[in-house]
Amino acid sequence: MLRAFVPILLLIVALAISLAGDRPTPRADFTFINRGEVNTLDLQRMSWMQDLRVGRLLFEGLVQQDVFDPDYAIIPAAAESWRVTEDGLVYTFHLRDNLKWSNGKPVRASDFLFAWRRLLLPDTGGDYVRQLQLIRGAEDFTNWRLEALAQAARGDGPTGSELWADTLAKFDELVHARAPDDRTLIVTLDHPAPYFLDLLAMPPFFPVYPPLVSQYERVDPITGRLIIESGWTKPGHIVTNGPFLLKTWRFKRDMRLRANPLHRLYDTLAIRTIAIPTVDDANAMVLAYRSGAADWVTDVVAPYRGDMYQQKLAFIREHQAEYDALKSQGLDEIEIARRLPDDPRNHLHVLPVFGTYFYNFNCSPRLADGRPNPLADARVRRALAMMIDKRAIAEGVRRVGEPVARTLIPPDSLAGYTAPAGLPCISDMHTQADRDTLIAQARSLLAEAGFPDPSKMPAISILFNKDGGHDLIGQSIASDWQRHLGIPVNIDQKELKIFREDLKNKNYMVARAGWYGDYGDATTFLDINRIGDENNDRNYQNPAYDDLLRRASLEPDPRARLDLLQRAEAMLVEVELPFVPLFHYCNIFLFNAHKVSGINAHPRQTQNVYLIDILGDGKGPDTPRSTPPRRNGDAK
Amino acid sequence: MTGVILRRLIQLPIIVGAVFLITLALAWGIPGNPLENPEGRRPPPEIAEAMKAQYNMDSFWSFATSYVDRATGARWLRARLSGEHERRDAEAIAAGLAPPDRYVFDLGPSLQYRDRTVNEIIGSSLPVSATLGLAAILIALVIGLAAGVIGAIRPNSPADVATLTLALIGISTPTFVAGTLLLLLFSVLIPIFPVASWGSPRDIILPAITLSLPFAAYIARLSRVGMIEALSSDYIRTARAKGLPERTVILKHALKNAFLPVLSYLGPATALAMTGSFVVERVFTVPGLGQHFVSAVQNKDLFLIMGIVVVFSTMLILFNLAVDVLYRWVDPRIS
Repeated sequence: MLRAFVPILLLIVALAISLAGDRPTPRADFTFINRGEVNTLDLQRMSWMQDLRVGRLLFEGLVQQDVFDPDYAIIPAAAESWRVTEDGLVYTFHLRDNLKWSNGKPVRASDFLFAWRRLLLPDTGGDYVRQLQLIRGAEDFTNWRLEALAQAARGDGPTGSELWADTLAKFDELVHARAPDDRTLIVTLDHPAPYFLDLLAMPPFFPVYPPLVSQYERVDPITGRLIIESGWTKPGHIVTNGPFLLKTWRFKRDMRLRANPLHRLYDTLAIRTIAIPTVDDANAMVLAYRSGAADWVTDVVAPYRGDMYQQKLAFIREHQAEYDALKSQGLDEIEIARRLPDDPRNHLHVLPVFGTYFYNFNCSPRLADGRPNPLADARVRRALAMMIDKRAIAEGVRRVGEPVARTLIPPDSLAGYTAPAGLPCISDMHTQADRDTLIAQARSLLAEAGFPDPSKMPAISILFNKDGGHDLIGQSIASDWQRHLGIPVNIDQKELKIFREDLKNKNYMVARAGWYGDYGDATTFLDINRIGDENNDRNYQNPAYDDLLRRASLEPDPRARLDLLQRAEAMLVEVELPFVPLFHYCNIFLFNAHKVSGINAHPRQTQNVYLIDILGDGKGPDTPRSTPPRRNGDAK
Repeated sequence: MTGVILRRLIQLPIIVGAVFLITLALAWGIPGNPLENPEGRRPPPEIAEAMKAQYNMDSFWSFATSYVDRATGARWLRARLSGEHERRDAEAIAAGLAPPDRYVFDLGPSLQYRDRTVNEIIGSSLPVSATLGLAAILIALVIGLAAGVIGAIRPNSPADVATLTLALIGISTPTFVAGTLLLLLFSVLIPIFPVASWGSPRDIILPAITLSLPFAAYIARLSRVGMIEALSSDYIRTARAKGLPERTVILKHALKNAFLPVLSYLGPATALAMTGSFVVERVFTVPGLGQHFVSAVQNKDLFLIMGIVVVFSTMLILFNLAVDVLYRWVDPRIS
């Protein structure tokens, strides 16, 4: 009899052994949920939001954004000062004295060049290679390397170490970036780019420690390719120069960081340890916050977040007079929340960010299956764009306070840039007569384009990916087009990877899309509509538009440059409509502003987590950090 | 017995190899670029091509052969024999750095989580899933056996109907429903158990109970049938005729035979539970292996898909073998 239950005893023993090998860790000073697992800490291969956020904690670039400045000023980081020539082309950076890597070795100007060369190499596969090609000769270097690798593959060029030696020499020869000494870096740009410093504040352009990274790179002796191995970013191996150090990183479980005693900010940090548990489930994120396991959720995506927002609105209504008074002082939403009574409903913060949700129109003359594409005609695109009830999508479907969009670039998100008015849509019309007029205009545009009876048009197919609530938006738009114009509409839902592949191959008619700007300039949005740009999923080809961008890139006068960019955007959103903007994104945070300081409400959504201070814990200044009202006095 | 074990162990690499090839062919055919961030900017096409070359993804066969080269240890052996490892380790030490980690059977890098090798992902996730799975199977055994025996003692009684109904609910309730309910009840409303935490025995209870429910229900039904059959057999009648107390008859004589069908189910059930559950791991934020397989397929993370498939298939074969051995040991009448 006993024999029968030996398997159960074996199970108990195995379980006891498993449990004995695992112990929880003590609570950190600050715990935040960072929208899923970090994909990589390899700076030059980084592009996900959660990776960039941790990248800013572990590493430091030449400059950084002052995230509490309403105009997002650029302030010194590793560079204590810099000088730009009058023509805006040559930047000379002076590094601080006594900068150290976490192993005590000095940070040198050449470490930045090593990182930039790494990013420019096609072997690295960095998503931000195009942005660094602003440096004169950088694009030539990448192209030279691509050609050299192709030659090596054909067997008619040097391979292995010879090719690598040539590559290093070619970088020095072609790329106009020099380190005359350990503390000076001189960079020459291809054309004036007022946003270059802003760009350098992004982690892909931060330095890495060359002796370490080189250990994980080897040159294939046959092909001459640089083979990049993983592993240098793990605790115990990684060498960093940021305000925090990576202590543990348990995959899909948590990451723990500790203040870096070799960093100049060490004495000013108000938290010494940070925990970043990996929570993928949208519901578990909210529950983790509510149960006290996390101090901040960076991205509330729970399906009931619309209800959470409605509760927040109810709270504001209860304190309307006080709220309005604080708002009129020009305070941002976080500071207002801090000054209103502490209430769990007010822990939700909906903050406008530098991103827009839009629908792509495929502008190719023919569809992927060879049929003529009715959307190739801008009049059809304009008619369709006018008939979308954007308010219904923002207020009825999304329900989290995201503003209706008429432009690609969120208005008021760039200092000095005036957004164009955009094309009116059906939800802008307040009376039935106005709506009827707009519908008549849309029908007239379709008739001019050769579709006098829209119900006889070829069916329009709307493509979107599963999850994320895109289906409801697609249904809403399909219903608008059917109701107002009688156009037959099909809905096509696919897995994310397949959806992306269809976009790339232009295998769609209308597709959902979204774009977040990377740096503080209009070109971060406008460039994706250039002819040949790899992110031009619309296949929009307009030489006049490209010419405006080209002229802007050569324009030395900042005001005139912004005017050119504004004209380019107006062309997109008022006349050509290769896409129709629907709403501007908001980030939804969950944290108690009465307890946590250091999270900012700036629309560029950069968060420097090392600025966090737990209020009232006796550590740090315990004085809330907040963004002063805009200089022109306009509250956002 | 030894012959059976040997034969099965010889079959193992053949079966795993076949599973590998079929899965790779299927995974290769999934549309989409595994090297592209699905939500971010697209790198220039020439950079995307260079990345393909970086991972030997130019063609199916170049990928398959390079994978086999590293997964079988051939690549490691070559580098070892040529002294490359020693040279690079010496360089690292001379630069004051820790030498790189290396694996003999290298299952490759994850394409999604570029800082991780598949070995590391499986190495960190499998013990977590194993812990959860073992706990779930133990809970399932306790609940299932008790429910089966109670039901079998008085078939068609209210107790029997109740246990059968509970078993039906256990099988048919989706784990995300059961898990979310338990989480809401015992972590938020009555905060006994933590949320989004893993490491202490307290963290395991709710996910283990959730994961155990369908297994418990199935074990209850198996043990009920086995027990009813055992109770109606001749040797039980003899035992009762000898005047043995009912408790002794049930626990000492009948339960062993009722347990045999459960034992044969334990192999695949334990393998299934230990390789993780996507839903339970996601709902309770358990850093286990189950979630990786689903997300690896969604991301077309070829190395991770193949690594997990190799591990899953090996585990399934080994657990079935272990149960067969145990079965023969428990009941030597089985040849």
